[in-house]
Parts: sequence; C-alpha cells; structure tokens
Amino acid sequence: MFERLDPRSPVPLYAQIADAVRMAIAAGEVSEGSLLPSVRQLSAELRVNPATVVQAYRGLEEDGFVATRQGAGTFVQAVGKDLRTRERRNAARRLVRDLMRDARRLGLGPDDLQDAMDHELNGGGR
Amino acid sequence: MTFAVETDGLGYRAGKNFELRDVNLRVPTGAIYGFLGPNGAGKTTTIRLLLGLLQASGGRILVLGEPMPQSRVSVLSRVGYVPDRPHVHPTLTVAQSMELHAAFHVRWDAKWADELQQQFRLPRDRRVGSLSKGETGKLLMLLALAQRPDLLVLDEPTDGLDPVVRRDVLEALLAYVSDRQASVLISSHLVHELERICDWIGVMDEGSLVAELPMRDFKNGIKRLYVTGAPELLDERAPFTVLSRGPANAAVEQWLVRGWVPAMRDHVTSLGATVTDVIDLDLEEGFVELLRSFRDRP
Repeated sequence: MFERLDPRSPVPLYAQIADAVRMAIAAGEVSEGSLLPSVRQLSAELRVNPATVVQAYRGLEEDGFVATRQGAGTFVQAVGKDLRTRERRNAARRLVRDLMRDARRLGLGPDDLQDAMDHELNGGGR
Repeated sequence: MTFAVETDGLGYRAGKNFELRDVNLRVPTGAIYGFLGPNGAGKTTTIRLLLGLLQASGGRILVLGEPMPQSRVSVLSRVGYVPDRPHVHPTLTVAQSMELHAAFHVRWDAKWADELQQQFRLPRDRRVGSLSKGETGKLLMLLALAQRPDLLVLDEPTDGLDPVVRRDVLEALLAYVSDRQASVLISSHLVHELERICDWIGVMDEGSLVAELPMRDFKNGIKRLYVTGAPELLDERAPFTVLSRGPANAAVEQWLVRGWVPAMRDHVTSLGATVTDVIDLDLEEGFVELLRSFRDRP
C-alpha cells in the first residue's frame, strides 16, 4: 500500500500516507472493517516519525475513511459510493497535476499530451 | 514548549584550529531532532559537551531540565547514548556487555533487551571484539534503548552500516519512540536517512549552529523556481533571497530562492517575468544550499 512513498516529493509524507490509504480504499484493496497497522508498526516499517503517521490517520478519520477505537486500533470505515467516486476523481486529478507539472517544464502542450495518450491507449510501443 | 536539550552561548576551544562558538541549541521535548553538518563541523564535540564528556569554556547547558555537567548522575541515568566510537569492551561477550550495562542503569528493561538481542540476531556468547561492524552498531543501539531513556543521543548511529542493519536499527528506534514519546537527538551526515524521520533540524558548520528550525519550514522555505522573461538585474528589495540563478533552457531561467511563499509570485510578475514552476527541494539539496549561502556571507 505504501511502496510509493517518496520523502523527496513536495507532498508532505503524512499526506502521501493518507493518500495511499485513500487510494487503497477507493480501489477496494482494503475492505470495510479491516485494521490498519498501528502507529508504532507503520512508523517502524516506513521509518517515518510516529507523529507523521498520527497526522495521516487523524486526517483520514476527519474525512470519514477510518475510525479509531481506543485501545483496539484504526479501522477502515464503510465508504459510500459518493466518497469512493470523489476519491477516484481526486486520484485522477493528482495524476494529471503531476503530469502537467512535468509537461510545463518540458514545454509540452495539451496536443502533445493528447497524442501521447492516444499512443499509449493504442497499446504503446514504438 | 519544553526542551529536552537547551544550551545558551555554549563555547568550547580545542587548540588553535577548532572552536565552538555561541551554540544555542533547542531540542523540543518529544522531537526527533536531526543534527546535520559536514565532518568536522562540531557535532560530536557538541554532543560530548551535552553529556559532560568535555568541559565547556563558556555557556549554559540544560539536559532534561537539569544543568550539565553538575547533574550528570541523574541526567545520564535518563539518557541513552550511542557514541561515535563503540564504548563496549572487546573482550566481553554480548551477554556480558548487556549485564554490565544493566548494572549501571536502574531502568534497564532486561526482557526487552533479550527481545532486541533476538530480533537483531546478536549471538549472546560472541565476544564484542569479534562482532562485525553491523552487529556492533546493533549492540550499541540495544544498550541505549534497553535502559528506557527519556532522551536518546545518537552520534552517527548508522555510519558505515549496511542498509539492512540501518533499517533494523531505525525500526527499533522508531518503535521505542512511538511507545515512549522519548526525545531524540540524532547526528548524521546521511541526510536522506534523516529526511523521513526528523521533525526538527539543526545544522552545524565550522563550530556554529547556522540553522535550527522545524523540518517542515526547512523544506518549505527553499525552492527552485522556473522563470520566463527574467530581468537581467533583480530588484534588491525582493521579498525573497536569490541564492543562485542560471539558464534552465533557452527561454527559462532557474532560480534558487530562500524565504519563498506563494504570494511572492506577484513580485516576480511586477518585474515583467513569470514564475512557471516552483519546485520543492529535498533536505539534502536544501542543506547544501544553506551551507553554501552561510559560507558566502560577507
């Protein structure tokens, strides 16, 4: 779930962790009621500051993706269709935002990107 | 805010060539504080002063709220230390080293020490002198953690260790910090390693503390800008500092700036230029630029 964490990214680590959980929920990789790793486990596993994990989980809780039960841990909540749809849309926007940033730097316009997209959709290759 | 470590005007002189000047260090309680600096900057000297291993020539030191070196007995019982050079005796076995350490530390957690010894796969009956570098590194971390300290002072704890051992050592450290909310002062020149784990950063250079700030601010303040239509001369009244500039490609310049906030785009626009992109720098790039600007100061 967290294999794409990048400390060099401008996106803060806590946001990357929260995004990874949201993505996993939206993609159905983790189901309702499943237990997320404890702060201790995840902090050690990812080698990030425990406070970073706490901050990520707190954000997820505020957005209704998870609930923390005292002493029991952090659980994935039932996520409605609306929330899932919104999350998929947000994920798409994040992908495009990153793409556009790199494209701007290279001086690539929408037409160049559309061409490239068509190329990939048609199976890619040279 | 309370501080696990607090120094005021700390000074130390070693011969003609090295001097620590006016170091005002503040490690907030509960923080993981990354102590950065090139070799010879004074990190190890500062750490030794904090622990009463060297005598300061001036200034005041508080560790866990108590003055050092006056309160060294009570302070050191609450501080776990991984020194830059191993402080374990080569003829003792791993188990004997643990017993010896236990005898000096009232809060020693024998059960956890045994768990760590197994987790780290340290052979109990091997002599310390015959351990590999990685095994020695793990033993030093075990000894520092099992005394259940309120403050961990780690001087290059992963220096020279392979990635697998580094991972084991940092995992154990972070698990402990999660459980105990202990404070950590960790020095390293492996900047990338600290990037994930620290929430505060202090940078030493040439015997001075040249910067101390939350990691978030450190990473946010220094940016690389891509600018089109950049004027030849920059307004001296710019609200940010341009550390360096140069061509990125034919039409675009690349600026390295400090003290940037998004609202400053307007200033660039007023110069007739456009900021096309703002790139956050990672800790290592920011650290290198910070040192460079410090050394270039008049």
